[in-house]
Amino acid sequence: MLRANSVEKRRQVAGICIVLGLVIEALCLIWSTPIAFVIFVAIGGLLMFVGIVLYLYSLVVHLEAPE
Amino acid sequence: MLHATTLIVSLILFSAVVISVLVARPVITATRGGKILAFVAMFCLPIFCGLLGVSKEMARSKSTTFCLSCHTMDEYGKSLYVDDPSHLPASHFQNHRVPADEACYSCHTNYAMFGGLRVKLYGLKHVAIYYLGTPPAPENIKLYGPYNNRECLHCHLGARSFEEGAVHNADPATMPAIKSNQLSCLSSGCHEIAHDLAHLKDAKFWKAGN
Repeated sequence: MLRANSVEKRRQVAGICIVLGLVIEALCLIWSTPIAFVIFVAIGGLLMFVGIVLYLYSLVVHLEAPE
Repeated sequence: MLHATTLIVSLILFSAVVISVLVARPVITATRGGKILAFVAMFCLPIFCGLLGVSKEMARSKSTTFCLSCHTMDEYGKSLYVDDPSHLPASHFQNHRVPADEACYSCHTNYAMFGGLRVKLYGLKHVAIYYLGTPPAPENIKLYGPYNNRECLHCHLGARSFEEGAVHNADPATMPAIKSNQLSCLSSGCHEIAHDLAHLKDAKFWKAGN
């Protein structure tokens, strides 16, 4: 369940993105085909990137306006 | 290789579980220890796992089985088993002049700066054409440009069989022309038979390798 607190909500969304990215990367490592390589980079990498950026953003916002 | 994949996948799943716990119970991050745990789990571990995964995928994408996993490449794979020493890819593959498990990559990479990256981008283009476009018939596949002697000289330069080869030294102009890429190694009358799909159905194959 997502929290009402915006910082926590952002972190939860970030966490979900990272988990999805990690799961996709794990599946692609097991599934050894050229298309898996593309999915690994394009979808897994993108989800992890978005999740990490969102997490870092939540930290910065939290530092600027401590609740 | 399989063992390494298992370890990386285990680490990835461990990271996913830790992050899932943090997502389900964000209250954990209220304490100082929880904040550190969150930073490690949501920043350090994913980056570490991502780098390990990229490294593994890059290594895997160099393998002969990876290149031959597209059906378009089947005939090229078969050509590695032609029982004819004048057949350049076959003789390199069968005699381990290139690592047999990286046979395609060893000859078709680009040994210039960022060459490895360039061939990976070509590879992504090939995958896109394979899945989204119309892949050409195997016999119609062409290189992006003339084969550069640099790729051959990466291994053969300085080798006695190359430097002292009778044909290479028959004319004093030959060796400088080869080294400066003005005379292709694949020129007619030299090492001209590469893959040769047109005559593959009549070829004799090396059985021991299959």
